[in-house]
Amino acid sequence: AMAGVVRRLLRRGLAVAAGPPNTRWLREAEEAAPVFQYAGKASQRKDRVFVWGFSYSGALGIPSFVRPDAGWKKPRRIQPTPYRLETEEKISSAACGYGFTLLASNTRDITKVWGMGLNKDSQLGFQRSRRDQTKGYEYVLEPSPIPLPLEKPQQTRILQVSCGRAHSLVLTDSEGVFTMGNNSYGQCGRKVVEDEIYSESHLIHQLKEFDSRVVQVVCGQDHSLFRTKKGTVYACGWGADGQTGLGHYNITSVPTKLHGDIAGVNIIQVSSYGDCCLAVSDEGDVFGWGNSEYLQLASVTETTQVNVPRHLPFKIGKVKEAACGGTGNVVLTEEGNVFVWGYGILGKGPNLMETAVPEMIPPSLFGWSDFSPDIRVAHVRCGLSQFAALTNRGELFVWGKNLRGCLGTGRMEDQYFPWRVTVPGEVVDVACGVDHMVSMVRSFT
Amino acid sequence: LNAAPGRAPRQRVRFLPAPAPGGGGALELVAARVPVLADHPLVRGPRFRKLKIGAGHRLDVKASGVFVLGIGHGNKLLTDLYNCHLTKVYTVGGLFGKATDDFSDTGNLVEKTTFDHITREKLERILAVIQGTNQKALLMYSNIDMKTQEAYELAVKGLIRPMGKSPPIITAVRCLQFALPEFQLEIHCLHETQQYLRRMVHEIGLELKSSAVCTQVRRTRDGVFTVGDALPRTQWNLQSIQEAIRNCQLKVQTELEKTLG
Repeated sequence: AMAGVVRRLLRRGLAVAAGPPNTRWLREAEEAAPVFQYAGKASQRKDRVFVWGFSYSGALGIPSFVRPDAGWKKPRRIQPTPYRLETEEKISSAACGYGFTLLASNTRDITKVWGMGLNKDSQLGFQRSRRDQTKGYEYVLEPSPIPLPLEKPQQTRILQVSCGRAHSLVLTDSEGVFTMGNNSYGQCGRKVVEDEIYSESHLIHQLKEFDSRVVQVVCGQDHSLFRTKKGTVYACGWGADGQTGLGHYNITSVPTKLHGDIAGVNIIQVSSYGDCCLAVSDEGDVFGWGNSEYLQLASVTETTQVNVPRHLPFKIGKVKEAACGGTGNVVLTEEGNVFVWGYGILGKGPNLMETAVPEMIPPSLFGWSDFSPDIRVAHVRCGLSQFAALTNRGELFVWGKNLRGCLGTGRMEDQYFPWRVTVPGEVVDVACGVDHMVSMVRSFT
Repeated sequence: LNAAPGRAPRQRVRFLPAPAPGGGGALELVAARVPVLADHPLVRGPRFRKLKIGAGHRLDVKASGVFVLGIGHGNKLLTDLYNCHLTKVYTVGGLFGKATDDFSDTGNLVEKTTFDHITREKLERILAVIQGTNQKALLMYSNIDMKTQEAYELAVKGLIRPMGKSPPIITAVRCLQFALPEFQLEIHCLHETQQYLRRMVHEIGLELKSSAVCTQVRRTRDGVFTVGDALPRTQWNLQSIQEAIRNCQLKVQTELEKTLG
């Protein structure tokens, strides 16, 4: 009886038979469907900061890793993969020290530099404690603004920051270099005061007396290097390994010009992180001075400390960029090849642990192949015992000792050859520290 | 096949009685080669009544391209070729602006989006990152200890490959054509299914803040077999098949020796 009712309704055209969907109906339904827009034509790529490594010092800038703010969260000692750090402004320069980090932005706003991590030597300036207004924080867990004594705070721009073991340098475009932190070896460029207490100190020193404008500042472990526009290099700080390059092994508390093999040479880049220093000239030559206990300078001398810059006669082509680590060094040539030498995990497998002569890392390890022949390494960076390389496609490769997860590969084992770090974006720059790393990344779309 | 001249019948030596060369009457046993009667075509019947045909890597109903088959004894080579884990190359066509439930253009529409903000550079950036993550997966699933020197050497040569079960891995992607809203990719992959490739097209659309469906999946290479070796529909006859087998024999042999030793 029900079937009869349905058939009568169908004949009268009152009920619609449910058969296979009509293609014309489907097409019309498709055309009538609403169109969603997720990104307009003028959508910009966003700039982000990713951090990874050891977090208990606060150097990653994420307080919930150290002091969980929700009941279900557990303290995270190590962040093994890149984690996004929210920042208020676009970060143009970052530097990782020994347990602390500095982030700087190119903005004209009053707050230009943020710091997080260890602050026992006021390497992040004075961070007033909220609980007790007279005391300062020893550990800063999230990016906190660093008050710099600028003359024109709304005009000066920060060009670059650099961090050493317990001191930091901030380079501005028109007001010279600001230094803060530990000064027991004169690394802040001011006279050493006996029994000075560095923690909770408000003192930020300003350095202006150079022969021309300073364009790059580099911190070694306990010394500082300044490169000027004219191509000269100044140094101050601890010199027991000759890392100040001034011809003696004493400490220097005032930035002094370097001579030796770099006198008269236009230096376009300097680098240091431990006790060895490298400089690259505009002609592509490499000069080195400082500690040579790990064969870093063994190609020119047998001595383990070199206190005058020496030219390193490598026949590897024109060098574009150099980076120094604690025991190993890496250079990048104009052709895009990466050469490593020194001691430690150098990136050519577990068999190559030390070499005095630069060895090339095969480009196929950086993604170069017949299928993609135009991949080239664009930048090289060094941490204390880690190396990082950035390709022109925005990929980040790391290798070296994986101290407390600082390589960002997600594994805790050491990496003996270059390994890709999965970052959700195109990596623009990376800063390597002892046990953590910070990268500036642009999103894909 | 049955009409072709078959094997010559087996011969065997029998001692047959034959008249003695000497005088009449006495019979002597003389050795003679005679064909075995059991091999006679009238006794055996047609040589081939059925053929064992095995299929190589799967190909979807909606996909097209090179499909490897093994005939008779060739089926044993099929397992060996599978264990070689060679890469396959696909040409995948996609269309921006639509998202469907089965990721192809014949499915039910889920959503329509704009796509005029997509440029070739953005697409190539996404493809570079896909390649990067899959490269990592390649090294991880190959089950080699990363700390050994031989792992480093294989990584330099680019020979590290998962030689066992693994999820789908893409070894290389390249954008062949880009004309909004359509685009075409060339994908080199391992252990994949065509539905996974369609899903990847959908995910590329999502990454670009739009949506995409897959219009075409065509396999252009399966290990050593390319489109040039493949027989189109018009050439599915005995002559061409035999010739194709003969041409590919050497290639397959060398590849198996190189990979499996």
